[in-house]
Amino acid sequence: MSTPEKSFWDKAQTLDRRVLYAVLIVLTATSLFFKTEIPVNPDDSSKDLYVSLMTIDPSKTVLIESDWTNSTRGESAGHFEALMRILMFRKVKFVVYSIADAQAPQVARDALMRIQEERKGQGLKEYEPWVDYLDIGYFPNAEGHLQAVGNNIRTAWGGRKERDDTGKERGIFESPVLSNVRVVGDAGLVVVVSASATIDIAVERLYGKVPLAFMVTGVMGPNALPYYQAGQIVGIGVGLKGVYDVEYMMKYGVNYRPDGATKAKVLYKEDSVVVAPVTEGTTMDRGARYFLPLHVALTLMILAIIFGNVAMFASRRKKKEAK
Amino acid sequence: MNEQFYWVKLTIGVIATIGLYSVLYRETKFYRFFEHLFLGLAAGFILVALWKETLKPLWWDKMTGSVTIDDVTKVSTIDQPGFWIYGFLLPIGLMGYLVFSKKHNWMSRIPIGIILGFWSGQQVQIWWNRWGAQIYGSMQPVWPTTTDSFTRPYTEGMAPADQAYIAAQLYPSQAISNLIFVITILAALSYFFFSFELKGKFLKGTNTLGRWLLMLGFGAIFGSTVMARFVLEIDRMSYIFVEWVDQTSKMFPGGG
Repeated sequence: MSTPEKSFWDKAQTLDRRVLYAVLIVLTATSLFFKTEIPVNPDDSSKDLYVSLMTIDPSKTVLIESDWTNSTRGESAGHFEALMRILMFRKVKFVVYSIADAQAPQVARDALMRIQEERKGQGLKEYEPWVDYLDIGYFPNAEGHLQAVGNNIRTAWGGRKERDDTGKERGIFESPVLSNVRVVGDAGLVVVVSASATIDIAVERLYGKVPLAFMVTGVMGPNALPYYQAGQIVGIGVGLKGVYDVEYMMKYGVNYRPDGATKAKVLYKEDSVVVAPVTEGTTMDRGARYFLPLHVALTLMILAIIFGNVAMFASRRKKKEAK
Repeated sequence: MNEQFYWVKLTIGVIATIGLYSVLYRETKFYRFFEHLFLGLAAGFILVALWKETLKPLWWDKMTGSVTIDDVTKVSTIDQPGFWIYGFLLPIGLMGYLVFSKKHNWMSRIPIGIILGFWSGQQVQIWWNRWGAQIYGSMQPVWPTTTDSFTRPYTEGMAPADQAYIAAQLYPSQAISNLIFVITILAALSYFFFSFELKGKFLKGTNTLGRWLLMLGFGAIFGSTVMARFVLEIDRMSYIFVEWVDQTSKMFPGGG
């Protein structure tokens, strides 16, 4: 008994998934080499994040909770690098710590070193450990640790030591970075760069004690946005769009009109707020590089879904007609 | 040397990426090798990091204290005294492992009980911190306070008193946005009324609307997740075709 010959539409429905993977890899890899600036209207949450970062009192230290690893490098590295560039441009001191994963501190260190190298190459001032920033590593038991930070940061971090600028090990609160921090509220902002539920823990333990801002992955975005809606955090960047939004505002500012321009590229809900762009170093980087490939990948997916459905209906119709 | 080491590091990363992505073609020994390599490295790294970043600074150093010996005078000074009481944390922590012993597993309840006690004590405060503001934020005004303009006018260049007046008003476009929010939250909540039978067109309609709105929400969440996964693939491609190729061309100029 011979099997009936498969029509084009039947074959289209049983297309080997590996063909799609191959097309995806080729298209995304190729589009990485096209440098285009896609105009966007940044999300309100991203605008609030950028405005908060650009208006922090530079004498206040920013605490960065870096809770991402290489598994989300595509999004989180972009967030972290943009954050570093903004803080270094504004000469704000910062502390980096992690509570989600023991691998997180090393990944943050690598990203920080990349930015330091980049600044060195651009002839800009490098941030000095102990003097300008502290990298204090990993703390286990995320809930207990943030509870302790909220209650008494000096006790919670009291055991940590780092090498000072002369190479001697000293308690971190002797550093110029933390000497002005007695309670967590003395920090200008806590920025959580996260790919996990540590954002919930930060809100539960620190909300009301210090302003919070989030830079999260696309997966965590829907979980985190209600905090922004309810005013529990001052701003949030979500996924690659969030990275691109921040980079775009780093280039064009908010409500900012360069000489001769009649309209600002990015408008803000408060017309009186004008935030200038970042005028040194790199602005558009990872977010800008990945934004076009993301559009290509999403277009491919949409086309594949449409094609698959058309094939299904056409195949059904053909079978009906044959009957 | 540093550049060479960086290139070797990147190259190993590229081989590992190809190894792990090879599962897209078929599960092979090549893929299995890199899967096990990844798991082993992660486990080993975490073990070292836990000692270096956690147990040593937070427990061992506090227990033993620290002393500095002057190189010239050989006089030692105590930088930080040791607190022997930290030693008691070790047996308490180890008791947790007795959960595997039939005879002594009651002892594992001691550390578990301590953790549960701390956890329970925090719940009231953290629940309110997380949900209190969201409950408050859900109560949005839905009636416009002015119809001078449909949307909030731009206030740039206006006098501060006018800006403050405009900021205090609720314009129709904002009211509609708030209304959609309030309808969504009420409809979604009504979907979870399981304890009584829903009778009447209004209750059934609200329940159905809630189900549709929830599905719309899940669709948006799924879309966001898919986007995130694509970015991970794009980053790996960038790692191989941009970072590694760039570093290779620096290492072997004119050659590779």
